[in-house]
Amino acid sequence: MIQDYLVLSIVLFCLGMLGVITRRNVFTVFMSVELMLNAANLAFIAFSRLHQTMDGHVLAMLVMAVAAAEAALALAVVILLHKHKSRLDTNVFSLLKG
Amino acid sequence: MEHSVTYLGYIPLMPLLGALVLGLLHLFTCRGKALPELLYGALACIGPLLSFIFALVVFFHLKGLPAEERFLVHNAFTWFAVGDLHVDMGFLADPLSSLMLLFVTLIGSLIHIYSVGYMAGDENFGKFFAYLNLFLGSMLILVLASGPVVMFVGWEGVGLCSYLLISYYCKETENVIAGNKAFIVNRIGDLGFVLGMSLLFWAIGAGGFDYLSLKANVDKIAPATGIAICLLLFVGACGKSAQIPLYVWLPDAMAGPTPVSALIHAATMVTAGVYMVARFSFLYASHATAGTVVAWVGILTALLAAIFGMFQKDIKKILAYSTVSQLGYMFAGVGIAAYSAGIFHVFTHAFFKALLFLGAGSVIYALHHQQDIWKMGGLKSKLPKTYLTMMIGAFALAGCPPFSGFFSKDEILFSALATGHTGIWLVGVLVAGMTAYYTFRMIFLVFHGEPRDAEAHAHAHEPPAVMTVPLQILAFGALFAGFLNLPGIFGGSLKVSQWLAPSLVDHHPHVSVWLELLAILTSIAAFAIGITLAHRKFGQGAQEPEFTGFAKFGYHKFYVDELYNAVFVQPYKAFGGLISRFFEPYVTDCHVRLSTWLYRKAGMAFKALQVGYVRVYAIYMVIGLSLMSLFLSQTIH
Amino acid sequence: MITELLFNGFAILAVLGAVGLVLFRHPMNGAMSLVVTMVSLAGLYALLSAKLIFALQLIVYAGAIMSLILFIIMFLNLQEKDLPEESGRWYYLLGGVVVIAPIALFLVKIVKTLPGSEATIVGGGFGGIKEVGLVLFQDWLLPFEIVSILLLIALVGAVVLAGKRRLGK
Repeated sequence: MIQDYLVLSIVLFCLGMLGVITRRNVFTVFMSVELMLNAANLAFIAFSRLHQTMDGHVLAMLVMAVAAAEAALALAVVILLHKHKSRLDTNVFSLLKG
Repeated sequence: MEHSVTYLGYIPLMPLLGALVLGLLHLFTCRGKALPELLYGALACIGPLLSFIFALVVFFHLKGLPAEERFLVHNAFTWFAVGDLHVDMGFLADPLSSLMLLFVTLIGSLIHIYSVGYMAGDENFGKFFAYLNLFLGSMLILVLASGPVVMFVGWEGVGLCSYLLISYYCKETENVIAGNKAFIVNRIGDLGFVLGMSLLFWAIGAGGFDYLSLKANVDKIAPATGIAICLLLFVGACGKSAQIPLYVWLPDAMAGPTPVSALIHAATMVTAGVYMVARFSFLYASHATAGTVVAWVGILTALLAAIFGMFQKDIKKILAYSTVSQLGYMFAGVGIAAYSAGIFHVFTHAFFKALLFLGAGSVIYALHHQQDIWKMGGLKSKLPKTYLTMMIGAFALAGCPPFSGFFSKDEILFSALATGHTGIWLVGVLVAGMTAYYTFRMIFLVFHGEPRDAEAHAHAHEPPAVMTVPLQILAFGALFAGFLNLPGIFGGSLKVSQWLAPSLVDHHPHVSVWLELLAILTSIAAFAIGITLAHRKFGQGAQEPEFTGFAKFGYHKFYVDELYNAVFVQPYKAFGGLISRFFEPYVTDCHVRLSTWLYRKAGMAFKALQVGYVRVYAIYMVIGLSLMSLFLSQTIH
Repeated sequence: MITELLFNGFAILAVLGAVGLVLFRHPMNGAMSLVVTMVSLAGLYALLSAKLIFALQLIVYAGAIMSLILFIIMFLNLQEKDLPEESGRWYYLLGGVVVIAPIALFLVKIVKTLPGSEATIVGGGFGGIKEVGLVLFQDWLLPFEIVSILLLIALVGAVVLAGKRRLGK
């Protein structure tokens, strides 16, 4: 029963990872990261139910707070990038190349 | 019988502390506003003067003891102990080192005081005195050392300081080259010293490696080994004391400031070689063959340097060759086992050579750094004090009775005659005449006759008292030091030789009074002939001659420098060039180059992975995770 | 019986939403799919009797964060020409699946080793606001405070990043 939740969590996590590594749209990449966070949350809640403690719930809350902070910053960055280049393609930004 | 006293360690410590304080002061102030010179001068003179006071204390302490107990030792700490080799940072004061101590600290102090006047206005005043103090401190370590290893510390210290001070005016390339020359030639000698020391340790070092233990064990050395040790140590002495074939650095050492020359020639450095041979007298005395070699090398050096000295025109070069020549006498003395005579000549020579150098410094100072004697003349009336004191020094150097040089030199020559070394005696008498000739050639040209450079002559004036007072003290020493060791024929009793007897393996042959009288009379005759020739030739306003034939050969020092350059320096340089051009790039550097090449190529290959897109880096990470998962999956069933 | 039905339904919806996020070309469509996933997850949290998290998921995630994302997407007024080319998208997806499959299989393998426990009955208070709050402020006080500082920093950072250009002028 719990294992089903965990398998679902794994599937969602891997789909998020797939989105991060294959898509070039900044928004999609960002939302894929959110998906991965959600998958992790699901695992937390499922384990919490399994062990009948509420620490998992607290962790899920903290993850949500971090996700909110991340969303605020990431979207600000996206706006800046869009202002600079008028593009949403991650391949446009290759400043890491030496 | 030895006595342990702590204050021995303070003697070298005083100038060394002075060097430290002065050096730090100089370092911290050289960029900003300089401290007053008086402060530096006072700080610089305190150390040597305190050492001199301690030296007096040591002397009187020794004097109060019975003759066979005159050994003061102080082991400050154990320096290192490896297997049989146990080396203490130990100091030994016996009659020999106490005599050295007395004149090294006295003359060193006087030179320090003189330098305060001579170096006034120099921009690196503090640095100069730091080096000077270090120099004196190293020499005191050398003199007081209780064993060869500690002696070597001082030995290297004076070598280093001579390098620093010879190239003190380092803005001119030739001065730096002169400093390098001194250092490199000294290194060659040092190698001999180290080898000799190692051989000595190998032979008898296990029984304790200080002089007293070595002296007790000296009989255990095989004759051949003993001769080898003596000769190797003598190579070291040759380097330090400028004997054939390593004498070439000393005349070039003139590049340093004049007080430095005085210090090198009189009190420190060059006397180290003679002192070392005397210190090992127990070794040399039992190997007469080595002693004979030492004596002949010494007397030939004396002859060669005297020939060079007759033709030089730089006042300091003349004095430098006279030093080499006198050092030759000293080695002749210690070589024929007349150790006390050799050391006594070191003692008197220190006074009159310091006097002559400081006097020459006064002349140079008065003439605004003019060193060519053919551009001087008639300074007698302008520099009366300098003239008088230098005259005393010249008489002492030339060996005129009753000045100090006469007694010490005569003692050596008489010993040579008495022990049957007639050849050495003959050459010695010849050199005595030549010494008188070139010394008075210098005196006549500088002080007598008409001024050759009227303008410089007009501006010349006596230097300040801080410079003339040391001259007068030294003149007093040069005049009367000889009476300390009056031989029996003059009613004396060889006091210095008796004083030194506990430290040295000395022997005085008993020969007839006539032989002694013969030695004295020939010496006086040689002096008289030399001074007469000099007076006839240079007494009245001689003009600079064109050097031709032998004179030119002599002026160019028999082209020995050029010969060394062609035979040793150039092939060595060519060899080095060969190494750097072929061996280094193709053999040693090749490994390094290969590895850098490999890394560069590997970097080029991996550079392709660095595409710069964040997404691609994420892909790398995921690939890594994936591979890890594949691997870890094997472990789960 | 009914819980299994509900679980299956929510799970299918969540996976469909996630697949939609990854496949849709336009981020607006992707965002709408993500909302579907989030709401389904909220339902799953309810099934796991996490009442507070169920509410927060709906309010914070599906509500606040997603509306912020949608707002920005619309704010930038994305046209078809603004979107990246992504011509080889299908090959990338295929490659991505191949690379990620081992990870997924590995994780599933681990999960299968867990003791298969049937859902037990929990007390009525489990996952309620009061109970979670007690745990949060008793055992997790320090992380809570750190997260509050993190949120403050994020706030300042967002202001600095977004306001920089205007200040420059």
